[in-house]
Amino acid sequence: MFRFAPYVLKTLWGHRARTLLTISGAAVAMLVFCFVGSVQEGLDRLTSDEDANRTLIVFQENRFCPTSSRLPEDYAQRIARLPGVKDVMPVQVWTNNCRASLDVVVFNGAPPQQLQVSRDLTLISGNWSDFESQSDAAILGRNIAQRRGLKVGDQFSIGDLNVKVAGIFNSPVPAEENLIYTSLKFLQYTRDLDAAGLVTQHEVRLLENADPDEVASAIDQALKAGPIATTTRRKGAFQTSTLSDLVDLISFAHWLGYASVGLVLALVGTTTVMSVQDRVKEHAVLQTLGLRPGRVFRIVMAESLIQCLLGGLVGTAVAMAVLAWSGLSVGAEGVTIAFRPSWLLAQTAAAISIVVGVLAGVIPAIHAARIRIVNALREA
Amino acid sequence: MALVEIRNLTKRFKKGDEVITPLENVDLDIHAGDFISMMGPSGTGKSTLLNMVSGIDCPESGTVIVDGVEITRLSRGKLADWRAANLGYIFQTHNLVPVLTAYENVELPLLLLPMSASDRRKRVELAMEAVGLSDRADHYPRQLSGGQEQRVGIARAIVAHPTVVVADEPTGSLDAETSQQIQILLQRLNKELGITLLMVTHDDDVAGIASRQLRLDRGRIIETQPMNGHKSLAVVTAN
Repeated sequence: MFRFAPYVLKTLWGHRARTLLTISGAAVAMLVFCFVGSVQEGLDRLTSDEDANRTLIVFQENRFCPTSSRLPEDYAQRIARLPGVKDVMPVQVWTNNCRASLDVVVFNGAPPQQLQVSRDLTLISGNWSDFESQSDAAILGRNIAQRRGLKVGDQFSIGDLNVKVAGIFNSPVPAEENLIYTSLKFLQYTRDLDAAGLVTQHEVRLLENADPDEVASAIDQALKAGPIATTTRRKGAFQTSTLSDLVDLISFAHWLGYASVGLVLALVGTTTVMSVQDRVKEHAVLQTLGLRPGRVFRIVMAESLIQCLLGGLVGTAVAMAVLAWSGLSVGAEGVTIAFRPSWLLAQTAAAISIVVGVLAGVIPAIHAARIRIVNALREA
Repeated sequence: MALVEIRNLTKRFKKGDEVITPLENVDLDIHAGDFISMMGPSGTGKSTLLNMVSGIDCPESGTVIVDGVEITRLSRGKLADWRAANLGYIFQTHNLVPVLTAYENVELPLLLLPMSASDRRKRVELAMEAVGLSDRADHYPRQLSGGQEQRVGIARAIVAHPTVVVADEPTGSLDAETSQQIQILLQRLNKELGITLLMVTHDDDVAGIASRQLRLDRGRIIETQPMNGHKSLAVVTAN
């Protein structure tokens, strides 16, 4: 079965400029596909995982940017008394950019003890006691630390905030790794924020049997008579709404991913057609020597598949490496989408490369297998 | 019994509105060890007959039986298998695969046969030795002269020990001196190895090396017998 593998490989190597260009094109297209896929996966994680469905966000009514939502901190006690509520964490959010940005920096101020309980954070350097004991201490998600080149002990400023890195954490929720946590008090008393006694939002965790929509409605109803009216939504719905502009953009980018796949198909298809047209006589000679048409078909298919798969694997590997090491994210209004590599995405890209390789090769392969030997041998 | 029996072979094809019949009810017997040359003006069906015997073209009617197998009845796939095991084809323009070395080109037909790698190596080495190119095994076609390329083509045609070897103007693209060397080689392969050869040529001198010389003219095969330096004409089939 593989006796003709050296012939296939030597044919590809014999036309190496064309082969390398095709592989490079396929690699770039699959790189784009993986990036787009990673953004899509990040958005899906934000809006549909367990945390997104079982946590409620209480925000000021008709407000969107974190800087414009100012809820009383003591709403937390009132919310905690409602049925179905497990606990409430007041959060002050500060971001350097309310618009969509690839380098958004988001600070979340929350009581450290509550943070430790409600978030699944694992410190990979530094220690929790420093974070709890020092008022200007901050713990940084792995991605933001990597992106900004920060390590434990560093002091850094963004806007009017000046903090000291007490720890760096990772989290099973990729978006968390783009956040910087400080104590709630620190963020409330930051110059120009003027937020003593106020928070941006309350995060409400629910008891197991509680219905999220019923509890959300009860919270808004209970706080209706308070000084600030609220809108309470599931965390996923809140994040989708907050990122609505980006969601539209990401949906559009989704088509870009499909276009990349189409590009690979056109590229490899064109190369294979050219290769077959250039070698009509060679295929006729091979059939004269005794190769069955089916074997010629498989040889051409193998050439198409190898180029597509190789390009796809290179593009996917580069994309996965860049996604893993760059810690890239996009965010808006204090919510970030993390670009993360995933096995599912890598496997999907590899599978697509195989399918595209087969599709690109099938018509030229049929053409090569069905040539009339006598006519083809007469070609110059 | 003849090794190759051609009976009532007819081939027609259309060229514009005109129907051309290069072969009509042709009969021919080729015996094991024969070295036959076929001559004749262009368009008289020499190459068509060669292609029929090779199983790469199909007749309108009639049969070609090679070593007891009626190849005109075989399917495309079966015909390919038959060619792999029974046919050696020497092309006018060598038609070596450019990305493969001389050794790999000669090995190609053996890849289609159930044979171990060591047996393949022995066969290729013997074939390369037979054509005097053992020292050029690692060369690519572009690194060989025209004569050397043709010798590799001949080695490729004989390496699988085929029942019959056909040659379509094997010296047609070579200079006189190289053509002479190839003629000597073909004659030697026929005499020393007993290879059955059917060759198409335009060149009287090349045709002269064959043990039987045929001439195709307007659908008829005429056998010319060399005798005391003269050629006598003998009609073997007539329409």
